[in-house]
Amino acid sequence: MKNPYQTESVKILKIEDEGSRSRIFTLAAPRGFKVKSGQFVEISLPGFGEAPISLCSDPSIKNKFEICVRKAGMVTGALHEMKKGEKVGIRGPYGRPFPVEIGKKRNLLLIAGGLGLEPLRPAIWEIVKNRSQYKKVQIFYGACDENDLLFMKNYDEWKKKIDFHITLDKPKGIKTPMACNTGVVTKLFDSVKLYDNPVAFLCGPPVMYKFVIKKLKELAFLDSDIFLSLERRMHCGLGVCNHCAVGSFFVCEDGPVFSWAELKDIKGAI
Amino acid sequence: MTHGELQKFIGFLMKQGWKVFAPEKQPDEVRYVEVEDAAKVKLITEPPLHSFKRFLVPPEETLFEYKKDKMAEVKEAERQVIFGINPVDLKAVVMLNQIFERDPWYQEKMRRTLIIGQSLIPENVEQNIFQTEYEENILEHLQFDIFLEVQGKNYFVYTGSEEGQKVLEDFGYKNYEHIAYAGPIKEEGLDPIMVKYRDALRKNYKKEIWEKDLGTRCIECGKCTLICPTCFCFDIKDQPDLVGGGGVRKRTWGACFYNDFSEVAGGHKFLRTTAERIHFWYYHKFVRIPDQIQIMGCVGCGRCAKVCPVGINIFKVLAKL
Repeated sequence: MKNPYQTESVKILKIEDEGSRSRIFTLAAPRGFKVKSGQFVEISLPGFGEAPISLCSDPSIKNKFEICVRKAGMVTGALHEMKKGEKVGIRGPYGRPFPVEIGKKRNLLLIAGGLGLEPLRPAIWEIVKNRSQYKKVQIFYGACDENDLLFMKNYDEWKKKIDFHITLDKPKGIKTPMACNTGVVTKLFDSVKLYDNPVAFLCGPPVMYKFVIKKLKELAFLDSDIFLSLERRMHCGLGVCNHCAVGSFFVCEDGPVFSWAELKDIKGAI
Repeated sequence: MTHGELQKFIGFLMKQGWKVFAPEKQPDEVRYVEVEDAAKVKLITEPPLHSFKRFLVPPEETLFEYKKDKMAEVKEAERQVIFGINPVDLKAVVMLNQIFERDPWYQEKMRRTLIIGQSLIPENVEQNIFQTEYEENILEHLQFDIFLEVQGKNYFVYTGSEEGQKVLEDFGYKNYEHIAYAGPIKEEGLDPIMVKYRDALRKNYKKEIWEKDLGTRCIECGKCTLICPTCFCFDIKDQPDLVGGGGVRKRTWGACFYNDFSEVAGGHKFLRTTAERIHFWYYHKFVRIPDQIQIMGCVGCGRCAKVCPVGINIFKVLAKL
């Protein structure tokens, strides 16, 4: 019988520091591997275990993909000790991605908080690389301070094609590639005029969801026009172990991306 | 089949190399033990304290061994007979078979397991909270290899699989009837008890049950999850050798009451309070599993109430939903 926990061993092609606390690992992609915004892989390091990590690279790049990892536990800690040329196990990709295709018919509003920019980055690259196919796109990105900003070297390229706004909760006055606003991400709604009738993609911590969804509802967004990615503890990634259960959904298999229409009646979803 | 023939049949299976586990009345409780003397095997109405669960979903199992980045295949399971499962617990077998249908370790165990069911069901509500009866047509919705219907001092023998037929034929017993499994759901449609609790729990969140009552009484010991024949949540973790770079990846029973069940990197927990955790346990059994596979995630054996140190009784909780 096919073993769904079997991992594939892939080589680390490149390791770069990203922001003050994360690293981008470029991994060799197995045959047929596709990157979709919001999907994740289980990274397996024998002896340490597995951890679900979002894919964050440009989907048009073939044969390799990127994950951006902050050292936060045993597996990510061990990963940070690894060197270029060494191998890690992967299985996946898993999960339901952001419905990026909607952006071909509707304007998009991408709202990211902190590390939440990682799962949205494949969508941003997809739009930037195929700009003429998509309608108008805005990004609202909130981070704690300049040191937490991710993917800074991409901003010049992104802001030429997308209306991109950053806000910092507690700025330290460090120079950044583009001007940043001050305050939490919902403050951007006061200063930036939204495009007409957009679909929103959200990725960030639960507290951000509470405030952003409240704001979006005030602006008369339909529940079915708000998509958000949930974070949960995962062990199997296959909809069995129940660690990631939310209501009757499994975040690993039915999500991690859900519409607000699916989640709004579930206690504890955000 | 007479009781003497049944004992001979068990002895035959043991000689054929099967490990046979059967319930035995011990001074305090009925427990599963490995049979050493087939002449001592009896059918007991009192269900064993621990169900069959650990024979199919063990508390700890090795998923694979690793040496550097090489991983071992699924190992062949030992041949085992689980004897004497009553129809209430057989419902849990049906449920686990669906939950683990794509799981190679579970399926390997099932492939090497002979399940022998029997018709003695306790009548008291403590051990049969949904008052399941041994009635016509019940067998076609249960999964087993052989089933013994108690008729006075003798048994009528049914088979539910080719493997069951084969071992009976090899033993030399032909007077059995085969029952084709018709799936878990009865012809009349969804189980009305399942629908009632599912809808009640999904529609209403009653603070007085979860926060005021159970949330203040439950001590999060997790005994109910260990004893429940349908609790199957698991953790996956690695256990490295101290030297040599090898080790094993293991799957162990998990419990949604424990502190780290919902904890993510950075320390945030999505199930923070006792009330959230016990609600999650009930929601899994009475809403999530029904939504997933249209059968109840509780068979009504009452074991959780029996072992609960603070007297939480599932029967009484359901009545308040």
